[in-house]
Amino acid sequence: MTAPLVAPSTDESRSPAPVPRSVLTPRDALALGVQGLRGRRGRALLTSVGIAIGIAAIVAVIGISASSKANVLAVLDRLGTNYLTITPGQTLGSDEQAQLPPESVGRLSLLDHVQSVAATAQLGVTVRRTDVVPATNTKGTVVLAAEPDLLSTLNGRLRGGRWLDATPRDYPTVVLGVTAASRQGVDLSAGGQLVWIGDQWFAVVGILDEMPLAPELDNAALISTAVATQKFGYQGSPTTVYLRTSPADINGVRDVAAATADPVSPQEVDVTRPSDAIEARAATDSAFTTLLLGLGGVALLVGGVGIANVMVISVLERRGEIGVRRALGATRRHIRTQFLVEALVQAALGGLAGVLLGGAITVGYGLSMGWPIDLPVVGLAGGILAALVVGGVAGLYPASRAARLEPAQAVRPS
Amino acid sequence: MSRPVLEFVDVIHEYPGSPPVRALDHVTLTVSAGEWVAIVGPSGSGKSTLLNLMGALDQPTTGTVRIDGHDLAGLDDEQLSALRGRALGFVFQSFHLLAGMTALENVATALVYRGVPAAERRERAAAAMSRVGLGHRIGHRPAQLSGGESQRVAIARALVGAPSLVLADEPTGNLDSRTGEEIMGLFQELHREGTTLVLITHDQGIAAAAPRRVGIRDGKIVVSTRDGVTV
Ligand SMILES: Nc1ncnc2c1ncn2[C@@H]1O[C@H](COP(=O)(O)OP(=O)(O)OP(=O)(O)O)[C@@H](O)[C@H]1O
Ligand SMILES: [Mg+2]
Repeated sequence: MTAPLVAPSTDESRSPAPVPRSVLTPRDALALGVQGLRGRRGRALLTSVGIAIGIAAIVAVIGISASSKANVLAVLDRLGTNYLTITPGQTLGSDEQAQLPPESVGRLSLLDHVQSVAATAQLGVTVRRTDVVPATNTKGTVVLAAEPDLLSTLNGRLRGGRWLDATPRDYPTVVLGVTAASRQGVDLSAGGQLVWIGDQWFAVVGILDEMPLAPELDNAALISTAVATQKFGYQGSPTTVYLRTSPADINGVRDVAAATADPVSPQEVDVTRPSDAIEARAATDSAFTTLLLGLGGVALLVGGVGIANVMVISVLERRGEIGVRRALGATRRHIRTQFLVEALVQAALGGLAGVLLGGAITVGYGLSMGWPIDLPVVGLAGGILAALVVGGVAGLYPASRAARLEPAQAVRPS
Repeated sequence: MSRPVLEFVDVIHEYPGSPPVRALDHVTLTVSAGEWVAIVGPSGSGKSTLLNLMGALDQPTTGTVRIDGHDLAGLDDEQLSALRGRALGFVFQSFHLLAGMTALENVATALVYRGVPAAERRERAAAAMSRVGLGHRIGHRPAQLSGGESQRVAIARALVGAPSLVLADEPTGNLDSRTGEEIMGLFQELHREGTTLVLITHDQGIAAAAPRRVGIRDGKIVVSTRDGVTV
């Protein structure tokens, strides 16, 4: 390594040999930083904790929300995004709920690229666990008339039992959504169960799994349209029509769906794509996420202040060391570098611990939720980087204080 | 006469204050290569101030200080630091060893800022430790060393870079008289081997070991003798 030379003395009578500059190789600087911390291991550890907690919180929040999004995408991947939901909108000029014409289902099923159509209709009756439960106590469960191909159209699955069919039985049959089953206290594994719908008993034959694309079915009691017509005088005006299209043509179908459902007043028809709503919900960070990120930021800040604090004390305590190093040839810059590296090493250790902890939290939480684990590398690298930035900023003031010490003052016996 | 290592020409040093404290008053002094100089004076006479200027740790208020031919007045922090690291070795009254390191690492630290590779630093530090009679103590930490051993480590650290001049401020001040004598014996040997030494003390008895004695009082040089002859 060739060190640049300092200018020769201005003395004209002699020309002394120029003195090579002092150097501090990056390797030695790092060794000094680590050495300085090893001497104060306990203190350095405590100081790093703040940084570690801050980084862990930030990494965990990033990891958990990424895993949750990955889960949503995986779910959508399984269910497909080629669904449309058609519901009556507002009547023009009044607040009244519009109605879909009874023929809308038939017309929609004739559209090109539509693979499957099924409708539900809300009935004006209530479902209760038994006939002695008051009629007002419905637990939010609605009674829907469903067409037999509803389940296949939505790619839905049953958690237990079977779907509505035409097999004759002692009682008319009903299938409950997953929320409805738990709210009404119906458990098929305990044997056949009856619920009271309108003014008669129905046998529960099946319970649906969660329906992410049609969450309104989760708290519903589904009976067949035939039974609805026969028992409750159902007229055939659907409240929701579910469409499955070929994936490439969903936008084309979407454009004509309203006019097809109700050619007279297409503006009174709402067409939505439920996967859009799920994706949007997954993409927006919840207030909770923001709060956790904020807390992580505060912990990081406190950690940074802690490092600065401890370093200022350390500079005072190590006045003698600074003096000796200056006497041994260290420049102001070398002293500043040494203390800055110390702060950086401390922060990097905290950052590393934080990244590991945050990663562990993400994996643990993701596994407990049954999600695919997604730990963005950017998040991990960003965590370490954030710690280094905090450490660097925190070390700046103490390091420049150390560098400013006059050598003659620093070597004085304390 | 041999090459001057240290030259003070009409040096004044004042510490700021109202009124300013004049710690050195028109000091003119030359130390040549191979000399052993003892600077003696009572407390507050300006010995440490003089040593700080000799060590390029401070600048004179007026006058000229030249170390190894380099006039301090023209040098910035980089150059002053380089001069300290290359030309000078320091021995302090309170040893100033770094507690977190072994004795060997303390000595090797003197070569860090010269860019000497780590392996060579270790070798040269071990040699310097042997030179001061502590070859068997290289792995000890400062807390495990006696006062005399600590000062020997500090002397090894001052010598390891083969400086033009070794400066010692009250090197026996923290030692009992017997250990102090041993340290003085070591300085005697170093002087015989050709090391240029400036030693500061308030103790006339210790100063008597040095061939050249400079008396200082109230910042002024009051006596200067070499082998008993006034110079
Ligand atoms: N940093 C300073 N600021 C102001 N005055 C100072 C400073 N350092 C020393 N002095 C004053 O300068 C004078 C010389 O001090 P110096 O430390 O050089 O004396 P000394 O001979 O080394 O004394 P001692 O034997 O007690 O160490 C004293 O009057 C002292 O009070
Ligand atoms: Mg003194």
